[in-house]
Amino acid sequence: MGTKETEQNALSRRDFIRLTGIGSGAALLAACGAAPATPPSAASTAGTGAAAAPPQKTTEISWWNGYSTNTVKQVTPLMIAEFQKLYPGVTVKYELTGGPPGGGDFQEKLLASIASGNPPDTATVFSTPAEFAARGSLQAIDQEMSTAKWAKPDAFFSNPLKSCQFQGKTYGLPSSAGAGGIFLNVEKFKAKGISTKREDFPKTWDELKRLSAEFLVKDGDTIKEVGFVPWTSLDWLPHVWSGLNGGKLFDATTGKYVLATDSNVEWLNFWVTWLDEQGGGDIEKFNLAGKWGDTYPDHAFQQKKQAMAQGGSWEATDSEIPFEWECVKFPVGPSGSKSVTGFWPNWWVVPKGSPHPQEAFEFIEYISTKGWEIWFQGIMDTPAWKAFPADILTKKLVAKVGVARAKDVNQFFAQYLNDSVEMWNSPVESFADNTIKDMIDQVLHKKQKPKEALQAAQTVLQAKVDEVIPKS
Amino acid sequence: MSRFTSATRRQGTARRPLGLSRRVRDNLRAYLFVSPWIISLLVFTAYPVFASFYFSLTKYTVLNPPEWVGLNNFRTMFTKDPLYWKSVWNTLYYAVLSVPLGLAVALGLAMLLNQRSWGIGIYRTAFYLPSLMPAVASTLLWIVLLDPQLGLVNAGLTLVRLPRLGWLQSAAWAMPGLILMSVWSGSGPPMLIFLAGLKDIPQSLIDAAMIDGANSWQRFRHVVLPLLTPTIFFNLIISIIASFQVFAVAFVASTGGSGSAGPLNALLVYMLLLYRSAFNYFEMGYASAMALTMFVVLVLITLLLVRSSSYWVYYQAGRRR
Repeated sequence: MGTKETEQNALSRRDFIRLTGIGSGAALLAACGAAPATPPSAASTAGTGAAAAPPQKTTEISWWNGYSTNTVKQVTPLMIAEFQKLYPGVTVKYELTGGPPGGGDFQEKLLASIASGNPPDTATVFSTPAEFAARGSLQAIDQEMSTAKWAKPDAFFSNPLKSCQFQGKTYGLPSSAGAGGIFLNVEKFKAKGISTKREDFPKTWDELKRLSAEFLVKDGDTIKEVGFVPWTSLDWLPHVWSGLNGGKLFDATTGKYVLATDSNVEWLNFWVTWLDEQGGGDIEKFNLAGKWGDTYPDHAFQQKKQAMAQGGSWEATDSEIPFEWECVKFPVGPSGSKSVTGFWPNWWVVPKGSPHPQEAFEFIEYISTKGWEIWFQGIMDTPAWKAFPADILTKKLVAKVGVARAKDVNQFFAQYLNDSVEMWNSPVESFADNTIKDMIDQVLHKKQKPKEALQAAQTVLQAKVDEVIPKS
Repeated sequence: MSRFTSATRRQGTARRPLGLSRRVRDNLRAYLFVSPWIISLLVFTAYPVFASFYFSLTKYTVLNPPEWVGLNNFRTMFTKDPLYWKSVWNTLYYAVLSVPLGLAVALGLAMLLNQRSWGIGIYRTAFYLPSLMPAVASTLLWIVLLDPQLGLVNAGLTLVRLPRLGWLQSAAWAMPGLILMSVWSGSGPPMLIFLAGLKDIPQSLIDAAMIDGANSWQRFRHVVLPLLTPTIFFNLIISIIASFQVFAVAFVASTGGSGSAGPLNALLVYMLLLYRSAFNYFEMGYASAMALTMFVVLVLITLLLVRSSSYWVYYQAGRRR
C-alpha cells in the first residue's frame, strides 16, 4: 500500500512530459514577448535641428558602411582614430554591411533599421540623400551646419552639396565629389604625333569624333582598337553629356524631368552617328569586339585597345593605370557653351531616429572635411570641401608620378568641380538612373529614335516624381 | 484495499484536471508540443504573407505608414508599367526553356548514374556538387566563363569554328546564358530524386520486357518512363515554382541588381523587378502587389498540373489516381 502511494505521489511520465511541454511553451512565449532594448533617447526628430544634449563622456555612435575596397578598409580605422582624438567623449563603432558586387543588402538593412526605429547613428549611402529625404528617412542638418566648425553651407562646392538637399533642406554631407574627365593614353598619342597638352585637346564634339577616328583600327569588319567611346559609365555621365550640349535631365527647382529637349535629342543623335561611323552600326557587335569602358584593368583602355576613356578622378589611383596618362576636360556639344563635368560623391547621412544625432553630425562633419585628408591620401576622390588643403596629395599618385604632377592632376579635378552640372538631386534617383540607362540602351540598339525614347522616359519619370511629391 | 485502484480509475471516479476528458487533454498536450513550430509559422510565414496582401493595396515606402490606394498598384502593374510585362515575358521564357531542359538533363544524368560500377558514388557526388555551390559564387564563375572576349565558352566556340556570342552582353543570348547557368547548378537535386525513382522501379518488369524482345529505348519508353511519372510530376512542380522565382542568378548576372538588367533588360526577371521596386525604388506596396500576383499564378499552375496528373501520372498500384 505504501509503495502504491509512493508511486502515485511520484511524478508520472505523462505529468513529466506535460510539464516539460508547458515549460517550453512558456519560455518561447516569454522570449517572443520580450520588449526590444530601447535606444538612448534621441535628441530630435525629422528635420527640426534642435540642439541635442551635450555629448556624454562615453557616447558610442554606430557608423554603417555598405561597400569597401581594401584601401577603404585601411583608411577607415585611421579616420576613426583621428576623430576620436578630436572628440574624446565619442567612440565610433564601424560596421561594414554588405560588400561588392552590388553592395550586398546594405540598403535593405538600412531601410529596415530606419523603419523599425532602430537605425545606426550615421551611415554612408550610395544613392542620393535627396531620395532618402523625400521619404522622410533622414534628419535635416541645416541647424547643425549653421554652427559647425568646418561644414558650413558655403564650405562645399555648390552642386555636390545640392545633391544632399531636398525641398530647401540639407540631409547629408558629400565627403567626396570625384570629378570626371577624359583620360588619354599618352604613349598612343605620341605614336601618332598628336599633342597631349590639355589646351590642345579637342574643344568640340566633332573635333573629338575626328580625333577618335585617328585611332580606329579594323581588321576587315572586326574592330580591333578605338579612339573613344562616349556611351560608357552610364551610371553618372549622361548628365554630363546633356550638360555639355547645354541641356539637363532634371530640374530640381521645379521638380521636373526635362529629357525631351532639342539639345538632348541632338546629343543622342550624335552618339548614334558615332556608333554608325566608328562602331560598325551594331552596338552588340561593337561590344563583342572589346570591353570598352573606363580605365580599370579589365577594360580596353588599360589593354591599350582604346586611346581615351572617360572616368572619375578616383581612377587616377584606383585603376592603377600602368602607362603614362593625361586627364583633360570634356569637349562641348554643338548647342553647349562651356565644358562641364560631373561628380560621384560618397554621402554621409544621419538617419531619422538616430540615437545620437549631435555626435553623428560631428562625425560626418569631420569625415567630409578634415577627415577626408586621410581618405584622400589613399584614394584620389576629389574632396567636396572647398577648404581642403591643396598640398595634401594621394600617396599612391605621388609615388607613381611625383609631387609636381600629382599636384597638377589634383588641381585639375578640383578646379573642374567649379563647372559641374547639377546631378544626383532627384527624389527618384535610382529609378531615374535605370530608366535613363534603359532609354540610352533602346536608342543605341536602334529600337527607338532619340526623340521618341527621350519623350517616353520623361513621361515615365515625371509620373514617378509626381507620385513621390504629389502636386499640392 | 486502497481507495486508489486502477479499477476505480477506469470507472471514471478519479478527479479529472480542468474537467476535460482524456482525449481533449491528449490533444492539448499534442498542440502544446507543436506550438513552437505553429507559432513560428504564424509569426514568420503567415503574418508576412497576410501583411503582404494588405500592403499590396497600399502605397507603402517602408519608411512611412502604408496609405490605402485600393487596386492602384495592380492597375499600374497591368496597364502602366512597361517593365512589368517585360519581366513576365523574360520569366516565362526562362521557365519554358529551363524547366524541360533541366529535367531532361537531370533524368539523363540519373539514368547514367543508375549503374553498378566502380566509383559510381564519386560520379554521383561530382554531378551533385554544383548544386551545393552558393548562387552568387556559381554566377560569378559563369560570368567569367561567358565573358565575350576572354571566356572559355567563346574560346570553345572559336575552336570549333563557330562565331563568338555576346552572352550576357547580348539581348538575344543573355537569357540562354542564364538558363545554362541554372541548368548546370540546378540539376543536382532533381537528379537525385530521379535516381531514387529509378531505383524504385522493379527490375523484374524491365527483365520481363527484355525477355519479350524490347530494346533499350522501348524499355525506357514503355516501362521506365510510365513508372517514373510520379517522380517527374513532383520534379515538374518544384522546378516550375523555382523557375518562376528565379532571382539570385539574375541579380548577380545583371551587374548586381543596379543598372540595366542586361542589354534591353534581357535579364529582368519577375523577382528582380519585384526586388528593385521594393528596395531600390521604395515601392513596397507595388512589390507586394507583384508578389500576390505571382502567388496566385503559381497556385493556378500547380492546381492545373495536379488536375492534369490524373491523365499522365501512373502509380505502381496499377491505376492512375
